[in-house]
Amino acid sequence: MAHPSQLGFQDAASPVMEELLHFHDHALMIVFLISTLVLYIIVAMVTAKVTNKYIIDSQEIEIVWTVLPAVILTLIALPSLRILYLMDEINDPHLTVKAMGHQWYWSYEYTDYENLGFDSYMIPTQDLSPGQFRLLETDHRMVVPMESPIRVLVSAEDVLHSWAVPALGVKMDGVPGRLNQTAFIASRPGVFYGQCSEICGANHSFMPIVVEAVPLEHFENWSSLMLEDA
Amino acid sequence: MAEEEQSSKKQSLKLMGILDIQNTPCAREALLHGAGGSVVSGLAYFLATSRVKRSFDAGVAGFILTTLGSWFYCRYNNAKLRVQQRLIQDGIKKKVMYEGTSLDPSRKPRGDDGGSQT
Repeated sequence: MAHPSQLGFQDAASPVMEELLHFHDHALMIVFLISTLVLYIIVAMVTAKVTNKYIIDSQEIEIVWTVLPAVILTLIALPSLRILYLMDEINDPHLTVKAMGHQWYWSYEYTDYENLGFDSYMIPTQDLSPGQFRLLETDHRMVVPMESPIRVLVSAEDVLHSWAVPALGVKMDGVPGRLNQTAFIASRPGVFYGQCSEICGANHSFMPIVVEAVPLEHFENWSSLMLEDA
Repeated sequence: MAEEEQSSKKQSLKLMGILDIQNTPCAREALLHGAGGSVVSGLAYFLATSRVKRSFDAGVAGFILTTLGSWFYCRYNNAKLRVQQRLIQDGIKKKVMYEGTSLDPSRKPRGDDGGSQT
């Protein structure tokens, strides 16, 4: 999860997020080099003593600073488009979960086999146990089996919401009257936090998302327990 | 164990506060190659022309081109390795799941019809 004063991404918990991290490093290195070049040119211009009034044009440098940026943009665009299409792939999900946004909580429905549904409210700060995270913990987590493709259908009951979990590389808007689909694979067990990512009213900042990836056996036990309690 | 991880993370050098050189694959190698390329190109230009300021320009150009080239080459190979790693992981999973069954990926196809009957 995120730590204080963090600037970079969280550690990846899904293959898509791993690819996004790699692409980010790739683009950042290119940006870093371009910034170095621009900074050097600025310093050189500022410290130059000679001003040449008679240069009209130069075909060579025009060619260089047209072709080189085109090449660099191509080298950024190719991996970018690859990841874009990779993120759209949904191959035979093992489980479908519906995430419905409300003001101001999420509700999850597991209707593949039985009718399991529950609400997920943020735990208020005064009710937190030691070790729990402020504004991130919920009373019921969305539990999913690890290393399985999970399809999430996101919608909303009232206003726009957005279901986002950075560690899984997932963000999908919840639009009332519309069903949006996304998918992820949790490559390792763990608890992954997210927050509503579309302004939805007074408590927009207080409707977090918690996804818990567990081995399949634990998921089966959890779903049996939840069905009994329902 | 946790202390070792914390100390290694504290020692990581972040360029412009963002690019983590230690933990980003290929970053350290690319920058070191770039530094070497910069020195070589700047020095070579100076030895050839004796122009100091233009040698610095050549050095910066050498740094950028060498870093970019080394970075792309290393990242491309890294990406190929990651794909292979994923294929191997999937293969091991499938092998473990389907060993002894008709779906075993390492099972050699038999000439006779029907195969083994259990």
